[in-house]
Amino acid sequence: MDIKPIFSSLRRSPTGAVLVALQIALALAIVVNSLFIIVQRFEKVNRDPGMDVPNIFFVGWVPSGDKFQGEVTMREDLQILRSLPGVQAATVVNAVPLSGGGSSTAMFTEPNEKGRHGVMNYFQVDEQGLETFGTRLAEGRNFDATIVTMPPKNSSTSPSGILVTRDVAKELFPDESALGKTIYTGTSQPVTILGIIEHMHGSWPGWDKVGNVALFPVITDETYARYMVRARPGQRDAMMKMAEEALGKVDNGRVILRVRSLEYVAASSYAEDRAMALYLTVVIALLLGISALGIFGLAAFNVSTRTRQIGTRRAVGARRTDILQYFLAENWLITTVGVVLGCVLALLLGYWLSTTFELPRLKLYYLVIGVVGLWIVSLAAAFRPARRASMVSPAIATRTV
Amino acid sequence: MFAYDLRLALDSMKRHPGLSALMVLAIALGIAVCTVTFTIYHAMATNPIPHKSDQLYAVTLDTWSAERPYDDEKPDLAPQLLTYRDAMYLHGAKAAPRSVVMYKSGALIVPERTGVKPFNAELRVTSHEFFPMFDVPFQFGQGWDAAADEGPQPVVVLDHETNEKVFGGTNSIGQTIKLGKVEYRVVGVLKPWAPSPKFFDLNNGSFEDAEHAYVPYGWGKTLELPVYGNTNCWKPESGETYQDFLNSECVWLQLWAELPTAADRDKYQAFVDNYARSQKAQGRMQRPLNNRLYDVEQWLDRNEVVQRDNRVLIGIALMFLGVCLVNVVGLLLAKFLNAAPITGLRRALGASRRDIMRQHMTEVLLLGLAGGVLGLLLAIGGLAGIRAIYGSDFSRSSYERLTEIDPVVVIVTLALALLAGAIAGLYPSWRIGRTAPAVYLKTQ
Repeated sequence: MDIKPIFSSLRRSPTGAVLVALQIALALAIVVNSLFIIVQRFEKVNRDPGMDVPNIFFVGWVPSGDKFQGEVTMREDLQILRSLPGVQAATVVNAVPLSGGGSSTAMFTEPNEKGRHGVMNYFQVDEQGLETFGTRLAEGRNFDATIVTMPPKNSSTSPSGILVTRDVAKELFPDESALGKTIYTGTSQPVTILGIIEHMHGSWPGWDKVGNVALFPVITDETYARYMVRARPGQRDAMMKMAEEALGKVDNGRVILRVRSLEYVAASSYAEDRAMALYLTVVIALLLGISALGIFGLAAFNVSTRTRQIGTRRAVGARRTDILQYFLAENWLITTVGVVLGCVLALLLGYWLSTTFELPRLKLYYLVIGVVGLWIVSLAAAFRPARRASMVSPAIATRTV
Repeated sequence: MFAYDLRLALDSMKRHPGLSALMVLAIALGIAVCTVTFTIYHAMATNPIPHKSDQLYAVTLDTWSAERPYDDEKPDLAPQLLTYRDAMYLHGAKAAPRSVVMYKSGALIVPERTGVKPFNAELRVTSHEFFPMFDVPFQFGQGWDAAADEGPQPVVVLDHETNEKVFGGTNSIGQTIKLGKVEYRVVGVLKPWAPSPKFFDLNNGSFEDAEHAYVPYGWGKTLELPVYGNTNCWKPESGETYQDFLNSECVWLQLWAELPTAADRDKYQAFVDNYARSQKAQGRMQRPLNNRLYDVEQWLDRNEVVQRDNRVLIGIALMFLGVCLVNVVGLLLAKFLNAAPITGLRRALGASRRDIMRQHMTEVLLLGLAGGVLGLLLAIGGLAGIRAIYGSDFSRSSYERLTEIDPVVVIVTLALALLAGAIAGLYPSWRIGRTAPAVYLKTQ
């Protein structure tokens, strides 16, 4: 088909077309970059935490009164929890994973802070810790009850053996297996790596080393202690209630504060990422909606003002499909100019975001998605007005207004 | 004249109700998205203590390792917190008109009133200057004095909510309350007080509530009260006792100084630097001299209280408004040019270019105003939606506080809508004003 008439008509009154193209360009820049951010957040929120999140819950408590006897009391409580019918495992722990609160330390391959060093976010747990997290041991063995100790308060004594994730193992021993190796604390105490955990997340979801986790065979000090319980599949909520009741019946010098699921903690930690993704999704939806309406409105308006012109064309022999094609081609042309300009804007915006806010660089295939998307939206918006144009009767040309 | 313009504008809007509605909607959506984003940003960027924010300084010392900076990503920044010995020395030397040393802790409260469950109260362990320095408002009683810090004496200041919970909101001065193992005498009850951002302690979140109760600083050491904020250590030190912890290079305390004049500030800076030099001579603090005083605004900035996400969203919201405006310009232009024959007739009958332009601008501003009002309603709905999804669910009062719409935002929104309308309408109105009447008259 001949597109020359489109050009000449556009050249005569370019303003409207320029505005549509500009709108499409801006929309493309926003859509592409927003989509990129949304996908990143989704990936972050949906990462595999490497533990049995849906079935784990925590019991928060504080010592109160003279009956509290440290480890003895905690062991007593664990016994109560483990004897509940729907409980698979339970342990004392010093921090809640994915919560934003926790402890970390660094260890070295040689004494006196020499050699390679590995940062680890550690959880102090007893022999059931591994099972309570529901993580998988890739190499080695879990620690048994005999090496679980409770060091005195404020003591910097380290456990003799620990479990670390593969991420930590690789940092310390990039070229060989870390299993069975001895590493050293900052104060040069030797520690043996007893086992390597395939993968698990620690306390800080926003940390780039969230997978650097270690389990220490230590009963934690009561100041930071809480109980972590893993229920059998599907029994978590029932066990949460039962645990609170069962512990509440025994007065051994501590007060139960609250029982909370790990799912809740994780959702709370990721709330801001979800909010950002949701917000941008709404923005994209509104943007596409308003752009489509704008294009539709303008096209419909143009068709209604050009009715006589269309009638004349029909009268001198243009078929319906010619008219339809003419308007769609015109729209396509404007849209294409818009998306080309939009690609440039999108890259500029992406560059600005990545340099100013240290976000990752925009991936190019998002541009392709955006371009195709806007083409479709724009054509769909112009289709109805174009069809209405094609319905104009040739007889219109003969009538006076 | 204005009434006439208004009538013409309404007539014109009625001629194409669909198109007019579309324009109002476009402006409204652009304004709504901007208002929601600005509201949250505005709440985050608010100065929580405007009348003296330039007199209060957070004190930082670079006590970190010679080998590496505190924060690898920002190597020029010192840690936000201080070691026990540095905080004690700087506070004790009384080099500032006023300073306060403090940290966040917690203790169990078992209320004697029946039906109230035991709860873990957040405690601020602080020296007595906290209340006058930060202008904390009292409902009953007052704070304590230096002697109570040193004693330490068993006195406590409760916040409004805790007094409500434990004493049913009555004047509880002189009553006793057990926090953990110690029985304290209530000396003060605060009015509802929740500076946002919680500038004096940003460790546990920038928009958290203030603590439930305040106890004299000396109790921290006496009872070895746990640190609820952050404790960061760099130096491998073996320790067995709490005293070892106090002597360590771990940072965990907050120190603020009140320095009313620039001279006070300079004097204090020199004092801190001299102290750091003397410590360097003893082999500590081996990093380059980097001890900064931050006033409240600088402190919020250094701690990135306004999150990166919110700055990104401001950019995106403005661009979104841009799209809506371009959209409106296109629609206006088409609409005005379509009505050009009528305009031509008016010109021929004697209306000047300025009359035409004014008439069209009236219509545009009317659209802008309608868009602004609708946009404001949409924004209020949107903020309520955010609160509904995120506010109640996560016990964080932060979303509540951040999504409150305030009068400043309302005024700015409406002004923005009119401005947006004016910008969008300027070109089409000018263009239609320049129409030569003859062209249109001929075709009739």
